[in-house]
Amino acid sequence: MMKPFNSKSRLVILALLSLVLFAGSVSAGQPTLNVYTIWSERYANEIFSAFEKDAGIKVNWMRFSSGELQARLEAEKGNPQVDVVFGNMAEAFVNGIPKGLFAPYKPKGSESIPAKFRDSEGYWTGVALDPICFMFNAKFLKEHGLNPPVSWQDLLNPAYRNKLQMADARTSGTAMYRLLSLIQAMGEDKAFAYQRALNANVQVYTKSGAGGALPIARGQAAGGIFFLVDALEVQQKGYDVAISYPKEGLVAGIEAMALVNGAKQPEIAKKFLDWASTARMQRIYEAGRINLIPSNPEVKVTNPGLDMSKVKVLPLDLKWAGENRDRLVERWINEVLR
Amino acid sequence: MPLTVSGQINPNRRAKLDPALLPLLILLWGSMGVFVLYPLARLLYMVFVVDGAGSLANLAKAFSSWYNRKALVDSLILAASVATSGTFLGFLFAFCVTRVSLPRAIKWFLGAVVVLPFVSPPFTSSIALTLALGPNGLLLKLLHVPGFNIYGFLGTWIAETLTYFPVAFLTLAAVLGAIDPNLEDAAMSMGGSRWRTFRTITLPLSIPGLANAYLLLFGSSLTDFATPLVMAGHTFPVLPTQAYLQITGMYDLQGGSAISFVLLVPALLVYLLQRYWVERRSWVTVTGRGGAHAAARGAGFTAEALMLAVISVLTLFIIFLYSIILWGSLVKVWGVDNSLTLKNYAYVFTVGLKAVKDTVLIAITSTLIGSVVAVSIGYLVSRKEVPWRKTLEFVSLLDYVLPGTVVGIAYVIAFNTGPIVLTGTMSIIVALCVFRYDAAGIRATVASLRQIDPSLEEASLSLGASRKTTFFRVTLPLLMPAAIAGMRYLFVVSMTAISATIFLVSVKWSLLTVRILECVTELLFAEAAAFSVVLVIIVFAAIGVISLLFRMAYPETSRQLRRR
Repeated sequence: MMKPFNSKSRLVILALLSLVLFAGSVSAGQPTLNVYTIWSERYANEIFSAFEKDAGIKVNWMRFSSGELQARLEAEKGNPQVDVVFGNMAEAFVNGIPKGLFAPYKPKGSESIPAKFRDSEGYWTGVALDPICFMFNAKFLKEHGLNPPVSWQDLLNPAYRNKLQMADARTSGTAMYRLLSLIQAMGEDKAFAYQRALNANVQVYTKSGAGGALPIARGQAAGGIFFLVDALEVQQKGYDVAISYPKEGLVAGIEAMALVNGAKQPEIAKKFLDWASTARMQRIYEAGRINLIPSNPEVKVTNPGLDMSKVKVLPLDLKWAGENRDRLVERWINEVLR
Repeated sequence: MPLTVSGQINPNRRAKLDPALLPLLILLWGSMGVFVLYPLARLLYMVFVVDGAGSLANLAKAFSSWYNRKALVDSLILAASVATSGTFLGFLFAFCVTRVSLPRAIKWFLGAVVVLPFVSPPFTSSIALTLALGPNGLLLKLLHVPGFNIYGFLGTWIAETLTYFPVAFLTLAAVLGAIDPNLEDAAMSMGGSRWRTFRTITLPLSIPGLANAYLLLFGSSLTDFATPLVMAGHTFPVLPTQAYLQITGMYDLQGGSAISFVLLVPALLVYLLQRYWVERRSWVTVTGRGGAHAAARGAGFTAEALMLAVISVLTLFIIFLYSIILWGSLVKVWGVDNSLTLKNYAYVFTVGLKAVKDTVLIAITSTLIGSVVAVSIGYLVSRKEVPWRKTLEFVSLLDYVLPGTVVGIAYVIAFNTGPIVLTGTMSIIVALCVFRYDAAGIRATVASLRQIDPSLEEASLSLGASRKTTFFRVTLPLLMPAAIAGMRYLFVVSMTAISATIFLVSVKWSLLTVRILECVTELLFAEAAAFSVVLVIIVFAAIGVISLLFRMAYPETSRQLRRR
């Protein structure tokens, strides 16, 4: 009556075997460049298909948010799945260097990019700038007889009570650069006193940097503080929003690229990094409606939305920011949220 | 308590494990070891071993912050609230579908609407909710209700209750469906009122189901990160979101994992409580002594009217939310250019086609493997003398109670280097879906077996049927409703899961929910809505196919179920 395996166990064995088979069936694949990026699909497509055309090397890429990319890179340390990280925020690279996530490489041609936009040891090279800006619902401003804010102090106007949305200080990027902008513009203690006062006008601190964009575009909130790239994207979609800048100044995020430590195809990776350091690559931004400011001063922009000549852009000390980040976030939680 | 139908029945009595099942047991333990314990061990090592020595530094650091301590308390409050309200609503719906005489079409419609919030990706339903009830919300304007701040406990609670009560509904509908209406009939013919019958027969007999539903919901809410990400704001921090932010916002993998390990404690406590409470009693109602099938009885006119009123309001609200999404998928620019277009669907079936295909393939594979695993484990732990039986059951539920972010990271760490390399493959996603989400199937199997008297199987054996015949002809058909519920759950979560799978998608294998999240973060809301609508349609089609296959394979059981 009893067979060594009844049909039930056979079924399970079969099922589990097929799991293992699926694992084995994935081949190594053709020599192609593997890249992680935080750029949106459309942006990434423009860049990588241009490289494919210029260099004849196929690019396999995946998109994550800045922090997810970093977490994944850290988890994959030892057997990295990609050769290059393209477009992540410079502070992520600064954070990843001591963790051994990146390898130094100074791309050919990167000398034309100003030294403040690249790492002195060649761990990362900045390819684009993304300033902080105010984005407000134009209809709301009109209905309340307000002009787009031009100073950090304008945001304290009681007309905005419970009407502002901006990112939580712990989300990477947007919120961090808001904090740094304030510190650079008014000094650390004043920056925190200001944020305490601003708190009364904040409807919600969103968990993602662009989380407040749709609520503002649709009039659920009056306005907020964003990266310019997100604000321009909302505007290009057809929503009526006003973009403005604080006269006291702000900082711009640096989007950079780097060679992954232990990359399986360092030669192809370097070829890409060389290519991406050229003015030719950054010219794709304008043609491809990529709303970022080139880091290479040779590349001129004609889009008035990206013209920073009248905006006070303050210097950014990435090393200080990296070392003080935990402390600043802790202080924000303790002094602003409490 | 008048729970046992006859005194001598003990549903917890177990047969000796026959040697034929030994390979199965070894396989199950082996896969648990590889896909549950090994990744967690690798992760534990990362969190609790600092510079080669055991250390609690990561944990201490995480909980030196008052904000994280508040998050722990808030998580528990939220999970308890969601589990209570969700189980309550799930029971209401399940009762109406199984016990109240409503036209078949309405029952089907209710069942379909109810699962909508569950089968749609969390980001879109949360966005729909803020559009309806948020500041300047559509529904608030429509009803002239003054605005209130939806961000915080209230919004998260509403959104999670909506998302998870369908789980309670599915679990409880299976359990209520399995209660023999003859019992209620008998109570009433002995003079009990409908309300009394409900109170003393139907409700107590649903307790294992209620406890299961509560546990499932508590766990789901405790580990959900996507809903609080959109709804909770800064006033109501919860642990999974804190863990996620610690990892993705502060680039602190160790700290984030440490935060989420704390979630294990409350999850374990609820699990043990539930075990203690449910295991001590007998819940047998399927005894093989059933006579003719009586029509199911309701709970009395007033109670039914009240239930139907609650259900109608909730159903209308859900329909309203999903019309917003449907409408959003059909217009050019949400709120600006409201002319109708199909271009968002064109986007789904061109740019997004690979994600659609991959997701469906992964979901089907996970469902098939997962349901076999779930029924095997559920059957072994409740019917057989298995060494380390309780440990097996516990381990099988472990991944489910951990937040997805942690499980996802653990999988990447475990399967990226070392003896088994799976990153970038489909198997890693399938393995995660199977071993993280078969919990519902296992719980449902265990709960149904608790209602089935082992003497049914013993009768079959003593009449000369082989163990195999007994299992396939007696046990399995009785288990089918639970297995189907488990399959449905597995398929749905394989289609909609994101918190863990986001770390496992690769260049070769992409998932719909990850695409939807991308669309949301890239401000492509119309495209996100179209993806969501397509996802919901696929899930409904799949549920239909599963039910159809079940009907074909077990016409007898399914006819009985439908008659109820």
